[in-house]
Amino acid sequence: MASAGSKGIDGVSRVKAGVARVGDDATAADRKIRLRRIRKRLLSEALVRFALLVLLWFSLSYGLGPDLAPYRLRFAGLLALFILLPGLAYKRRHLVEARDAVSHMWAFGQLHFSEVSQMLEASNVLQADIKDSKPYIDVMHEQIGDSLSESEGEVLKVIEQIGLLHAKASQQRERIAESIKSGKELNESTNIRIENNKQIIAAIEMQLDAQNEEFMSNFERIEGMAGEVGSLAPLVKVITSIAQQTSLLALNAEIEAARAGNAGRGFAVVAFEVRKLAVLSTKAAADISEKIKTTCKKVDAEMGAAKDSLKEHESNTAMSHLIGDLGGMQDEFSKNSRLLLEVITEVDANYEESVMRLSQALGHIQFQDVMRQRMEHVQESLVEMREHLLRLSEDAADPARDGHLDLTFKSMLAAHFNKYRMASQAVTHLAVSGGESTGDHSRPAIELF
Amino acid sequence: MAMTILVVDDSATMVMSLKATLSMSGFLVETASHGQAALDKLKSGTKPNLIITDINMPVMGGMELIGKVRALPGFRFIPILTLTTESEASKRDEGKRLGATGWLVKPVSGDDLVKVIKKVLPGA
Repeated sequence: MASAGSKGIDGVSRVKAGVARVGDDATAADRKIRLRRIRKRLLSEALVRFALLVLLWFSLSYGLGPDLAPYRLRFAGLLALFILLPGLAYKRRHLVEARDAVSHMWAFGQLHFSEVSQMLEASNVLQADIKDSKPYIDVMHEQIGDSLSESEGEVLKVIEQIGLLHAKASQQRERIAESIKSGKELNESTNIRIENNKQIIAAIEMQLDAQNEEFMSNFERIEGMAGEVGSLAPLVKVITSIAQQTSLLALNAEIEAARAGNAGRGFAVVAFEVRKLAVLSTKAAADISEKIKTTCKKVDAEMGAAKDSLKEHESNTAMSHLIGDLGGMQDEFSKNSRLLLEVITEVDANYEESVMRLSQALGHIQFQDVMRQRMEHVQESLVEMREHLLRLSEDAADPARDGHLDLTFKSMLAAHFNKYRMASQAVTHLAVSGGESTGDHSRPAIELF
Repeated sequence: MAMTILVVDDSATMVMSLKATLSMSGFLVETASHGQAALDKLKSGTKPNLIITDINMPVMGGMELIGKVRALPGFRFIPILTLTTESEASKRDEGKRLGATGWLVKPVSGDDLVKVIKKVLPGA
């Protein structure tokens, strides 16, 4: 009885605790029905006990004999007092407790039935959702796969474009190389020609200088001759005047000779001859004057020619300038030719750098392969997670399962450490989950054995 | 005469990028998508001056390829470089034991790759 009472009290405590926690949801009608049943059972129990007492009383009456018969009623009363009443009192107390217990148990049962129902419903929903994770994970898996394929396709196009760019650049480089060769040849040829031209120009300039000197000398000489010829004209006038005076003197002498008669006949011949000589002198002076005039005309013509020569000299000076300009142009051409060669050489150097940078870019493209491998690892993990979730769902639906899990997310995560190929994967793992790396990724990226 | 390099990788992007890089530097490039294909090429008469191989490949991986190449007559001393994402020390040691000449962890710039090639191929 004590054990039963203890259990009853424990039950009450638990029920009370449960009720205190979640509240009393049982209805009054339910409680009345349950209490009526308990009362009936207790009443039937009391009747049985009473029947047993009556049977005991009759047994005692006949067993004790006639001497003790008067005490039967008292004995029975005492017996009832000592046995039945405490029992009834105890039952009464227990009935109250039982009633409360039943009330609370009912409430507890109602409450937990609801909770269990909700849990079962939630469990079913959870199982269904876990099953739905399969298409979800499959879609994500395929998304990653498609992204990798697209990425690979695009990277291949980039590589193709780089290849085409390099092919074009190679063609350009060949042309540049030809240009450099031609430029060098042109530069050398130009320098040789410029050198030759300079020599020619120097010779022409020397010749022009000599011609100029000669011209100036001729011009001065002609000018002097013209002056000298011009200075003869007054002398002719003097000669003409002398001839005329001589002629007059001869005429006078002839007159005087005639006047002297025979004595002056010889003198008359002389005078005549003198006059004739004077006439000849006058004629000669006229001829000389004419010739001087002719000469002066010729000198004027020569001077005109000299002036033309002067103009020509001036034009020769312009030619010298032209030659000078030509030399400057050649120098400029030589300078530009060198500059062009430098530009072409610089373009060639830039091409080398471009090739180097393209090569670097191609090296960076390797990231796609690195990324692909990391993403493939994630894909494998997604498949692993999908399978694990499905197993969990099946386990949850199995009423015979014992709750033990062979594989857990924790163990799966730990197992990933042995699957990593790259240091970066381990670093990411440790940054998120903590712990220490078991692999040695500390050696250099490039290692020759 | 230009030297020939056999590139072995299952990644098309790797094969294409390496081919472009090495061609730019004046090398002739042969390719294979896994170890077995590379081995078949070598057995059929291809005689590269250098092999650059990935490690993790389908059909036949790089480690197995290195071991089998070293067993082929005439390929005992040919330089073999691994170009892989594997950076773990134990893998490197295994590669060295099998006969790899060097270990390069992706990504490697074209410039560095050519420098390494010139080290293992002095005439290049």
